[in-house]
Amino acid sequence: MRTPKKSNLVKETPFRDQLDAIKPRFFALMLDWMLWGYVAYAVMYFLQRYWWRYIDFYNKLTLPSWGWPLAVIGTLEMALLSHAFSHSPGIAAARLRLVDENLGSPRFSQRLKRFLAMNLALVAQPVVFALRNRKPSRLLHDSPSTGFMLPFAVIKDALPVKKPRPIYMTYRGIFMAFILVMTFWLGLHIAQIEFSVLAEGWDYTAKILGELLDVRLNHLFVDVNAKGLLFSIAYFMLETIFMALFATVMGVLVAFPLSFLAARNIMGFGTVGWGIYLVMRFLFNAIRSIESMLLAIVFAVWVGFGNPYAGSLALFIHTIAALGKLFSEQVEAVDPGPMEAMFATGARRWQVVLYGVVPQVMPSFLAFSLYRWDINIRMATVIAFVGGGGIGTLIRYFKGEVGRIPDAWGQVGGVILVIAIVIWLMDYISGRIRERIV
Amino acid sequence: MDDLIHIENLTKIYERGEVLALSDVSTRVARGEFLVLLGLSGSGKSTLLRCINRLIEPTAGTIMFDGEDVTRARSRQLRHLRRRMAMIFQQFNLVRRSSVLTNVLSGRLGYTGAAASAVHKFSKQDIADALACLERVGIPEQAYKRADELSGGQQQRVGIARALMQKPVLLMADEPVSALDPATAHSIMQYLEQMNQEDKVTVVTSLHFLSLARRYGARILALKDGEIVFEGSPVEIDKAKFKEIYGEDAEEVESR
Repeated sequence: MRTPKKSNLVKETPFRDQLDAIKPRFFALMLDWMLWGYVAYAVMYFLQRYWWRYIDFYNKLTLPSWGWPLAVIGTLEMALLSHAFSHSPGIAAARLRLVDENLGSPRFSQRLKRFLAMNLALVAQPVVFALRNRKPSRLLHDSPSTGFMLPFAVIKDALPVKKPRPIYMTYRGIFMAFILVMTFWLGLHIAQIEFSVLAEGWDYTAKILGELLDVRLNHLFVDVNAKGLLFSIAYFMLETIFMALFATVMGVLVAFPLSFLAARNIMGFGTVGWGIYLVMRFLFNAIRSIESMLLAIVFAVWVGFGNPYAGSLALFIHTIAALGKLFSEQVEAVDPGPMEAMFATGARRWQVVLYGVVPQVMPSFLAFSLYRWDINIRMATVIAFVGGGGIGTLIRYFKGEVGRIPDAWGQVGGVILVIAIVIWLMDYISGRIRERIV
Repeated sequence: MDDLIHIENLTKIYERGEVLALSDVSTRVARGEFLVLLGLSGSGKSTLLRCINRLIEPTAGTIMFDGEDVTRARSRQLRHLRRRMAMIFQQFNLVRRSSVLTNVLSGRLGYTGAAASAVHKFSKQDIADALACLERVGIPEQAYKRADELSGGQQQRVGIARALMQKPVLLMADEPVSALDPATAHSIMQYLEQMNQEDKVTVVTSLHFLSLARRYGARILALKDGEIVFEGSPVEIDKAKFKEIYGEDAEEVESR
């Protein structure tokens, strides 16, 4: 490595000015290139994942060999285009502005000219290097010409040849650790985690806890005879279980056929099938991302606040999406051998599904359905807080009575105790059944 | 000569990894013939078989089956073509959780009406046929067991019974005995031979062992790297030919 003396560098001031002028532009271009790279990567990812070209059992489509070079060149061209024809993010980040000689906005032809010139510079620069047959580092000092490649030369020249340090000894490693610690510390503040608060509130909490643990079960079978609520804990518990049952059974019935439409190995044979697959996948993912509590708010308005029907519908909708997704993943994981054999006998696609896929997925479908029932019971116990009905109604009611009747907290404790016992029982039973099946 | 299959310039390129599985393969299979495909793993035997019933989509070339162009067949026509060509597999490809009888009956799906198969209803005739097929492959007592309770040899027999249900013109077998021990392998091969001689079913099978190919094959087609390196009767394969097919380092292994 030759490092020119300081005096030499001072003499080359015009060149250094030039370099300083190029740097932000280069930075802007790299940034744009990177952004387009992300876009291209996303596009390619989806192509690779969702696009089959041949109807085969064994080969999935991958990019052809020219795909990646095309992507590299394509993204660069897109970066250059956005550079020349718009106020690109890169240009914005580098605080540059594209102007004509009068500092006005350039016309279309000028922009086109600039785009072509940038292209030419990119193509010509390596050629010039190749023709001169010189190391880029020498070129940096010998002929201070303009161009995009110059910063490469600088980087290359400055590259150290050393044994790499362990990551915790490097600036990068230390910086990373610092960032992580800072993030966590910031998180504590944003989430308002303060341990002293726990100590302050303890006395009052202990009193409530005591009342809560003084469990009252006198309304287990006896109606809560006030405020128009004429029901017992047992009744509401039953209501909760049946809400979950409705949601699960109906959800399974709807999710079962739909899940095959969202399975790649069944729909991935033609354009129409592919379209259905994508739509179903999108629907499942979209609906799944809405918690059933939020759905219950909508249904509570629709069919009436506190109506168990509202909670059932909310759980039902969520169950369709959640199970549909799980089911379709199971369908995608089946052994393709039997499917292949049945296609070979001349069976129709849905016959293959019925005879080759359904028997394979049945046990896991059952297990997932039971598991979902579990979850639905749990959700049904709290969905009353947003007006969905079920045993949460009683918790809300008794909490509202705190201060008016002396054992309100004890009543709440009773409800919670019943919920805990029932959920534990359901969990245990469905767990045992699942063990049997799988 | 009356040809059943007529393959012309068949080429298959797998996109992933850009593998050339079959390169410009042309051949004919006569009606009633017992053809053995030989070659190392990855030589293109499975691909060739699966191109014939289009489980794998050929990249180029044409395949005529019984005067019909398989490569151009649309879905309905393709299904009807597939009904006439049965296939058995190295890993048997049975539905493991279904009963043996259901597995055998599934060979009939191509002929079964939509409503009937939707409710898992096969005709009495089909069920009787299925039991007869199981009888023929010597496992009638296994009919109501689950398929995965059977041994490998028995599972392959179920595969053969399923193929028999199709009443096929052509039987393709993709390494039917590779997963089996030598004794069982011979009994399976004898069923294929029986189908060939008694039912006049054309058989195309791929095999690993030359000894098996010599014993059962009327004609041998050897593939190497997707190209035909030998085509002729088994007796023509001498030491030099053998080395050409299997590579210089290969020694002939006996399978009795």
